[in-house]
Amino acid sequence: MADAVIQTTNLSKELTSSLLRRKVRILSGLNLSVVKGETFGLIGPNGAGKTTSIKLMLGLMHPTEGKAEILGMPAGDKRALAEVGYLPENPYFYSHLTGREFLDFVGQLFGLERRERKDRASELIETVNLTEAADTQMRKYSKGMLQRLGIAQSLINQPKVIFWDEPMSGLDPIGRRDVRQILFGLKEKGTTIFFNSHLLPDVNEVCDRVGVMNKGRLIVQEEVKNISAGGNYKDLEDYFLEFISKSESESVSAAASAAPHDERAKPVKSEEEAKP
Amino acid sequence: MTAPHNDLRVIAPVAAIALNTFRETVRDRIIYALIFFAAIVTVLGIVLGSLSVGQDIRILKDIGLAAISFIGGIIAVFAGTNLVYKELERRTIYIIFSKPVSGWQFVLGKYIGLCLCVFVMVVAMGAFLAIIVAALSGSFAGASFFDQIKEISQELSLIYLELLFVTALATFFSTFSTPVLSVLFTLAIWLAGHLGESLLELGKLTQNPFVAQVLSVIFYCLPDFAGLTRIRGHLLYGTAPGAEVLTYLVTYVLAYVLMLLVLAAIVTERKEFA
Repeated sequence: MADAVIQTTNLSKELTSSLLRRKVRILSGLNLSVVKGETFGLIGPNGAGKTTSIKLMLGLMHPTEGKAEILGMPAGDKRALAEVGYLPENPYFYSHLTGREFLDFVGQLFGLERRERKDRASELIETVNLTEAADTQMRKYSKGMLQRLGIAQSLINQPKVIFWDEPMSGLDPIGRRDVRQILFGLKEKGTTIFFNSHLLPDVNEVCDRVGVMNKGRLIVQEEVKNISAGGNYKDLEDYFLEFISKSESESVSAAASAAPHDERAKPVKSEEEAKP
Repeated sequence: MTAPHNDLRVIAPVAAIALNTFRETVRDRIIYALIFFAAIVTVLGIVLGSLSVGQDIRILKDIGLAAISFIGGIIAVFAGTNLVYKELERRTIYIIFSKPVSGWQFVLGKYIGLCLCVFVMVVAMGAFLAIIVAALSGSFAGASFFDQIKEISQELSLIYLELLFVTALATFFSTFSTPVLSVLFTLAIWLAGHLGESLLELGKLTQNPFVAQVLSVIFYCLPDFAGLTRIRGHLLYGTAPGAEVLTYLVTYVLAYVLMLLVLAAIVTERKEFA
């Protein structure tokens, strides 16, 4: 796609289990394209391959097959990463630093100048409602506060593309509302947003398009406005459950009918099962 | 975002990682090591002062400098070998490498931060030793006091040179090995490096050309810590090394450190963070 900001082509990943040296495929042939200004939500059960997909797109992991491109540059390219904001799942930071020191540290990683770092840190601390705790060491932060700080650090460089892995995790309803507001603000500015989430109502409210993933495969993708408009599905949850159960029954019948050496019978394990 | 100047984009991440490593290491361990050192030197100073006649200052200095070298080495080994592992365990590594940070910037930043920490510690322990020495010799001024300070400073410079080496070894192993194995590898090489020409002598004694050849290769590959110790020994007896020897030593250490850091950067650049 010409104006694709995020593009993956047959992106696949195999890991070798440390015990039996068996290769296990945790992501299979991911073909995905997210255009400028679009908000894309990747949903799926635990271990579906969502986090692996993001890590491959950022160059934190290397693909076994296929490729990923961000802003037309290969995954992991430093010029592309300079325009990216990333929030990892269940973020952990340096507990000896205060929230403000940590934002300054992240700003330095982007090579921002002192004045800009200071201004951006103050602005973001206010945006994520951490003003009172900004000068407290992070070892005293709750999970929700760490999540808020994680969101703030992902925006320090005013990124063109953001990757958020479970951004609502650990947040109370007020926190979730705040994050939704931040997302709407980013959408207005034309930021391209890619995020993983289990919280379907939030995905439904924020995303333009969703992809459903199960056992390392992207099984379907659709524009959110079309999901309930067609009358086939009550809501996003209904759509999600329908495709997941279809995918589960297909993989059971494929495994039953496949010959022992058939490629289709190759085990596709979840990320958690396959970790070496 | 204002486009940062290219130099800033290259140097800023190294400086940020170095400062963060320094802060973290200082807040973690260094205070305990300093208290331990202060306790050893104070007790020894008091005991030796009452036991030996005439040689108490010399013995105190010997023991104090050996303690600085040992404690500095232990901090370099244990903090160095945990450098990458801790980042992986806490998953803070994702924050670093999802930013425009290269493997070499990460390795260099970590190394500089730890070297800075070891430097502060060596200087602090050296200052404490100088104070105890001055207190026992009853003089805080005059030529003899400044001679003592000069001698201790020269010794500390050579100790620090050796610790730069040990820190680079620990940093290198930490990029691909577990902390326990990295500690073992680093300690093994540190100790073996002190054997020096004994390895060549051992080769001659075996009277087996193959073994002699292997030991000779090991001798030339290992860092020459024995050479550093020899020069420190000369210093203790008032013989300062010539400029040529010092230049050779510094170049040798920096070249070795550079080689280890380049290897560590290559390993880090290829690493996956699953």
